Amino acid sequence: MDRKIVAQVVYQISAVTVVAILLGGIASLAAIGFVEAVHYLNGKLLISPYARVLAEDQHLLVVAATLLVPATGGLIVGLVVHFLVRQKRGLAPPDAILAAQTSGPAPGFPSGVASTLAALVSLGSGASVGQYGPLVYLGAMFGSLVGRLKLNLRHQRSIAIACGVAAAISTAFNAPIAGLVFAHEVILRHYSLRAFAPVTVAAATGYIVANVIFDRPALFLVSFNEVAHTYEYVFFALEGVLCAGMAWVFMRLLKVSTSTAERYIHWPWARPAIAGLMVGVVALWIPEVLGIGQETLRFATIEGAFGIGELGLIIIAKLVLTAVCVGFGFVGGVFSPALLIGILFGAFYGLVLPYLLPVPHSGLVVYAICGMMALASSVIGAPLTTILIVFELTRSYDLTIAAMVSVVFANLISYRVIGRSLFDLQLRSWGFDLSLGRDKAILQTHPIRDFLSTEYTAASDRDTVGEVRQRLVDDHRSEAMVLDHNGRLLGVIRLQCIVNSEAPLPVMEAIIPSFTIFDEQTSVWQSMESLRGFLGEAVPLVNEYGQLLGVVAEEAVIRAYLEIVHDLREEENEAA
Amino acid sequence: MKRPSWVVPSWMVACVLLTPAMSRGQDNGPEPLTVATWGGAYEESQRRAYFAPFTEATGIPIKTVHYDGGITVLQEHLASGEVEWDVIDMIQSDASAACDAGLLAPIDPGILAPAPDGTPAQEDFMQGAINRCFITQIVFSTVIAFDDRAFPGVKPDSVEDFFDLQTFPGKRALRKAPVGLAEWALLSLSVPQEQLYDLLSTRRGLDLAARRLDEIRDSIIWWTRGVEPVELLTSGRAAMATGYNGRFFHARVMEGAPISVIWDGQLIGFNSWTILRGTDQAEQAARFIAFATRAENMAAQASLISYGPARKSAQQRVGLHTDVGVPMMPYMPTAAAHMERAVIRDHRWYSQTGELREQWFREWLGAGQTSE
Repeated sequence: MDRKIVAQVVYQISAVTVVAILLGGIASLAAIGFVEAVHYLNGKLLISPYARVLAEDQHLLVVAATLLVPATGGLIVGLVVHFLVRQKRGLAPPDAILAAQTSGPAPGFPSGVASTLAALVSLGSGASVGQYGPLVYLGAMFGSLVGRLKLNLRHQRSIAIACGVAAAISTAFNAPIAGLVFAHEVILRHYSLRAFAPVTVAAATGYIVANVIFDRPALFLVSFNEVAHTYEYVFFALEGVLCAGMAWVFMRLLKVSTSTAERYIHWPWARPAIAGLMVGVVALWIPEVLGIGQETLRFATIEGAFGIGELGLIIIAKLVLTAVCVGFGFVGGVFSPALLIGILFGAFYGLVLPYLLPVPHSGLVVYAICGMMALASSVIGAPLTTILIVFELTRSYDLTIAAMVSVVFANLISYRVIGRSLFDLQLRSWGFDLSLGRDKAILQTHPIRDFLSTEYTAASDRDTVGEVRQRLVDDHRSEAMVLDHNGRLLGVIRLQCIVNSEAPLPVMEAIIPSFTIFDEQTSVWQSMESLRGFLGEAVPLVNEYGQLLGVVAEEAVIRAYLEIVHDLREEENEAA
Repeated sequence: MKRPSWVVPSWMVACVLLTPAMSRGQDNGPEPLTVATWGGAYEESQRRAYFAPFTEATGIPIKTVHYDGGITVLQEHLASGEVEWDVIDMIQSDASAACDAGLLAPIDPGILAPAPDGTPAQEDFMQGAINRCFITQIVFSTVIAFDDRAFPGVKPDSVEDFFDLQTFPGKRALRKAPVGLAEWALLSLSVPQEQLYDLLSTRRGLDLAARRLDEIRDSIIWWTRGVEPVELLTSGRAAMATGYNGRFFHARVMEGAPISVIWDGQLIGFNSWTILRGTDQAEQAARFIAFATRAENMAAQASLISYGPARKSAQQRVGLHTDVGVPMMPYMPTAAAHMERAVIRDHRWYSQTGELREQWFREWLGAGQTSE
C-alpha cells in the first residue's frame, strides 16, 4: 500500500479513537455532574422525600416549599428559555438528531448551556419531567463542539454527536450496550462500522467513568427468577398493546397541553410557572408527582406497596402533569416520566390481571418491568435500546425476553398509530420528516438552489417573437425566460411553440404563463416531486420578489438526488 | 443556655495534664468520673481496656451508670438539676440529635492523640468520626442471630428468612424501639440497601414496612436491654433474635453458647464518646476521651470484644483475642465478607426522624392491640 494512504489510515483511526475517548469522558462527567446537581437541588429545595422527612418538624415549611418551589423554578425556567435560548424552547434529543443528520447550523453552544441550565432548574425544582432528554442533548452539545474541530475526518459531526449521546446514556443507565444502540437507533439511524467503532469506545468510556471512578448506583435493581408459565407471554404481548395505547394517550395530552398553553397564556415565559404551581397543588395530595420519582419507581416493583385504586390515581396524575409540564415549557425529557408511568401501569396491570384471569402468574416484577419498557419504547422510538437496558440492568434472560415481547407489540401498534416516536413527530413539525426513512428527510433539507445555473436565455417583455427565436437558435436552447424591467419573471417561451409564429408578434402573446417554478426554499425532494410530468429543459428559480435568480436544469435535479443518496449510502456502509 | 468557647476546655485540659493532683476533692483522692455505658460484656471490655488503665495512669477512679440509648434520659437527667453523668457512650445518631438539642458540651479535637506513626488524628479516624460534640470510637453492628438447636436442618441465612415463619418457625426477639425494624422489613422485600432511607422517608415506605412486620407480629418477643437477646436465645425462648454483634460473639466464643450470626442485613452503627453539658468535670471527661481514643487502647478493646475501632491505626493492631486467642477479624462487622448486604445506619436520618419513628412504632403497636 502507498505510504501516504497508510499514514492517512493510521491518522484516521487514532484521531477517531482519541475523539471518542475524550468525548466519552467529557459527556460522562457532564452527565454525572448534572445528575448530582439535580440530586443536590432536590435535597436543598425539599423536593426529595428524604429532605422532606428531615424537615418534618417544620410542616408549614414543607407545604410552602411544595407549593412555591416548582412555581418559582418554572418562572426561572421561563425567563432563561425566553431570553437566553435562541430557539426560545428547551433543546432536546430532536435537536441532536437534526444536528447529526444534516449539515445545517446546530443550536449554538451558549443556547445549549442555557437550555441545560433550564433543565437543571426544572428537574431541581421538582417539575414532572425527565433527565435523559437533557443528558442526551448535553452529550450532543459536546459532540457538536468537537465536530467543529478541523480534524479532517469524514462525517465528523454526526459521529461526534453520536459519541457524546452514547456516553451520556451509558453513564445515566449504567448500560454501555444500550448507550451504543441508542446512538445508532435514535440519533444516527444507521449502523456503519465507521460510526460503530468510535461510538462503542465512547459508550465504554462512559461506563468506565460511571462505574470505576464514581461507582453510581443502578437505576433499578430487581430480583426475578423466571417466567413460571408459558401462557404469560400472551399477557406480556397484551400488556405491550395496552402500553401503546397509553403512549398514544400521553402524546394526545401533550398536544392538548401545548396548544392550551399557547392559546390561553399570552406570555411564553410565564407558562412553566403556571405548570409548576399545578404540580405543587397536586403534590400536596399526591407527593409522588414531584420530580423524577426514583422512590415511586422502586415501590412499583414491590408487591403490596400500592393498592389498585391509588395506583390508578397516581398514574393519571403523573400522566397529566408530565404532559402539562412538558407542554407548558419546562425543560426536560419524556423518557424518565415514560419509564415511571410505564412501570406504574405495568404494576397496575399485574395487580388487576389476577381478577380478570384467575390463573397463577409470576408476580408483579415482570409485569412492572414490561410496562416500563413497552411504554418508554413507544414514546422514544427505541425498542432495541429499552430491551438492552433491561438486560444490562437485571442480567436476567427471562425478564429481558418478557420485556422484549411487550416492547415489540407496543412498537408494532404505536408505530402505526403514532409514528416512530415523539422525537420524530417533533422533527416532522419542523419540516424534517423521518417517517419514510433518512432519504426523504435529508433530501428535504438540501435546497435545490445549490444546483442553480445562471446560464439561460433571457427575453424582455418588449421583445418580439422573431428576436427571441433568433436568440434561442444562437444559444442552442429551446426555452427563454421572459423578464420585466425589474428582472421579475413573467413567463417562459418555448421554441416549439413559436416555430411558426409571425416574427413581429410581441413576446407577451406567445408566453406560457403557467409553468413549474422553484424558489429559494425548494428542497431537492420537492423539486424531484414537481418534475413529474415536466416537459421543459430547465426550471426557473425566483427569489421572494419574483425576480429570476437562475435556472435548474432537469439534469441538475437528478444529479442532486444521486449525489445526496450516494453520500448517505456511503456513510451507511463505510468501514472503520 | 450559655456556650463555653472552644478554647476553654483545651487549656483546662492542658492544666490538668500538667498538674494531675490539683483536681477537686484532693483530700479524699480525686472525685470519680461517671461514665454512662451499656453494661454486660461490652462494659467489661471497656473496663479492661479503658477504665482500669485510665485510673492507673491518672488516679481518677471511674464509676459507671447504666444507659440504654436515646436522648430522653439525658433530658430527664439534666432536668433533675443534679448533673452526675460526665461521659456518655452514645449511638452516633443520638449523639448528633443531643448535640443539636444543646445537651452536650463541645469537644476540642485537639485532645485526640495522633497515631503511633505520627499520622494526625484527623486522617487516622474514619471519615465523619470527629464532630463538634462527639468523637466516634467504635463500629458496632445489630445483627440477626439464631439458636442453632432450633434449626437442626437447613439454617436461616438472610433477612428474608427472619420473616419466613413457615420455613423457620419460632419466636423472633426484637428490640422494642423503632431502630432497624423498618430497614429489615424493606430489606426482606429485596429493596437494595442504598435506597432504604429514601424509601423510608415516604409514608408509603413506612406503611409497607409496617405491613411486612404484621406478618411476624404474633411471634415477636420484645427486648430492651442489650444483654437480653443472648438470654432469650440460650434459654430457648426465642429461635431468632436481633442484637449487638459483640454480645453474640461473647456468648458464642467465650461462653460456648449455640448461637450463630446471620451477617446478611447487618445494621452498622457507630458509638461515640460525648460529654454531658453542665458537668463540673468537663476537663477530666475530655482527658478520659483523649485516653480512650488512643490507638493502642482502642485495639486493646477490640481484642476483647468484636467491635471495630473507628481509627485505622487501631484496626491494624487487632489480632487475637486477649484471653482465648481466637483471631478477631472474622467476627468484626467490618470484615469484607460481612459488608455485602450491610446497612450503614444513616445517622442524619435517624437524628432527624426520632419523633416520626416513635409515632410510627406506637401506631404499629397500637394497631396490633386493636386487632387482637
